[in-house]
Amino acid sequence: MIQINYSYMNTKNLQYEKPRYLNPYFGGVLLGLLVLVTVYITGRGLGASGAIKSTVVATADLITPVQAKENTYMKPFISDDHSPMYNWLVFETLGVFFGGLLSGIVFGRVKKFRIEHSPKITSRKRLIVALIGGALFGIGSQFGRGCTSGAALSGTATFALGGVIIMFTIFGTGYAIAYFFRKLWI
Amino acid sequence: MKEELFVSGRNIPNIDPYLNIWHWQIPLYLFLGGLAAGILFFAGFFVVRGKEKRMPATVKWAPIIAPFLLIIGLGALFWDLKHKLYFWQLYTTIRLTSPMGWGAWTLMIITPISIIWVASYMKEIFPRWDWKFKILNQLEAFVIKYRVPLAWIMMIYSVILGVYTGILLSAFNARPLWNTSILGPLFLVSGFSTGLATIIWISNDAKERKILSRIDLVFIVVELFLIIHLFMGFLAGSEVSIEAARLFLGGPFTVSFWVFVVVLGLIFPAVLETLELWGFHVPKWLPPVLILFGGLMFRFVMVEAGQITRYLY
Repeated sequence: MIQINYSYMNTKNLQYEKPRYLNPYFGGVLLGLLVLVTVYITGRGLGASGAIKSTVVATADLITPVQAKENTYMKPFISDDHSPMYNWLVFETLGVFFGGLLSGIVFGRVKKFRIEHSPKITSRKRLIVALIGGALFGIGSQFGRGCTSGAALSGTATFALGGVIIMFTIFGTGYAIAYFFRKLWI
Repeated sequence: MKEELFVSGRNIPNIDPYLNIWHWQIPLYLFLGGLAAGILFFAGFFVVRGKEKRMPATVKWAPIIAPFLLIIGLGALFWDLKHKLYFWQLYTTIRLTSPMGWGAWTLMIITPISIIWVASYMKEIFPRWDWKFKILNQLEAFVIKYRVPLAWIMMIYSVILGVYTGILLSAFNARPLWNTSILGPLFLVSGFSTGLATIIWISNDAKERKILSRIDLVFIVVELFLIIHLFMGFLAGSEVSIEAARLFLGGPFTVSFWVFVVVLGLIFPAVLETLELWGFHVPKWLPPVLILFGGLMFRFVMVEAGQITRYLY
């Protein structure tokens, strides 16, 4: 058994009382650099909705294989060689999950399992609204050929007009209609 | 009618050129056997060292599941047998060079020992427990009196069980991926690591968890060391060994092995356990679940990949 002397390290200081977050502007710069690194390593930009799409296609292919192979939307992603899950975006998303978890542990954001919401609404309401919002975003991202990561972030990095349009549309629409949904948050 | 001519000297269905006889039962058994070996070894270890009071989960609570793991594992082995009714013939032949013979006898000994071990703690776990018969109470007193020798026997047999889960594969000299002597220690270390992870998950005592986490970290490091040596050995070997290693270095098992076994099943939980030892708040169940997942995945990958490696091309 190993005995390590931890006395040089004051472990009390390592535990943060309040969760700590990075400065958002600095985080934005890091995200931009991440796109650069991703293009350098993989030869293409990063994305988030792609992993969900792969999961949807894989599930549909498992439950209703005949319909999935006939479906125009899903057809291109199904092949006999490998599962639709064998896609780098799926692994990228796994990495995002575990990396985020590690960051959360180190900066004291991982506590007991909880649902964060405005004190004026219930957890149940928060979950239902989040589900509706997520579904709308999923549908929208497929009509827009990508989400905030795949289209807006990676797209604008290549000076694609579509990327710029999608970014202003997503954030502009969000800004415009936030007023009507403010009671869900404040 | 469409006729097909097939000319080959190598077409024995399910055996040559590819082995296709072992399915989910074998890796599941290898996982459960290693896990039970780990739990029982550390239960015995802390009793022998006289620390059973300080390690309640290791000595009393975790071993409760060991007999169930062994029985489910044996059930899986039995399921895999082609001629199920002749299983007893494993016990009528003693052949020291047969790993399956060793395994059958080891399981025959360690399964009852694990049950006796748990039974001897029943009164401590459930204070109102009564064995009803006088002879059972006498037997219990006898076992409690000789608990340290029993712990020694249990430790020795759990090491044999843990090594055996690897030797079972390495005895196949026609399969280059399996035919390496590192597999025995590697499966032993991996089994002990999954056993420790289970005890850590069960334990509620912060001090006990700390001791176990430190031991587990050593085991993870040793396991990584053995994995590196496994591949160094293959790459320094003959062409068939290099071909076997290629399955993991760019071949079809690259992602499942390096991403799921090495990164998510070993390195990431090791980082989390280290952070926990340094005082960060880590969800208690997370490192054990990742280690158990990695251990199960490791056995599935090794059994699957080993069956398609071969000598003749």
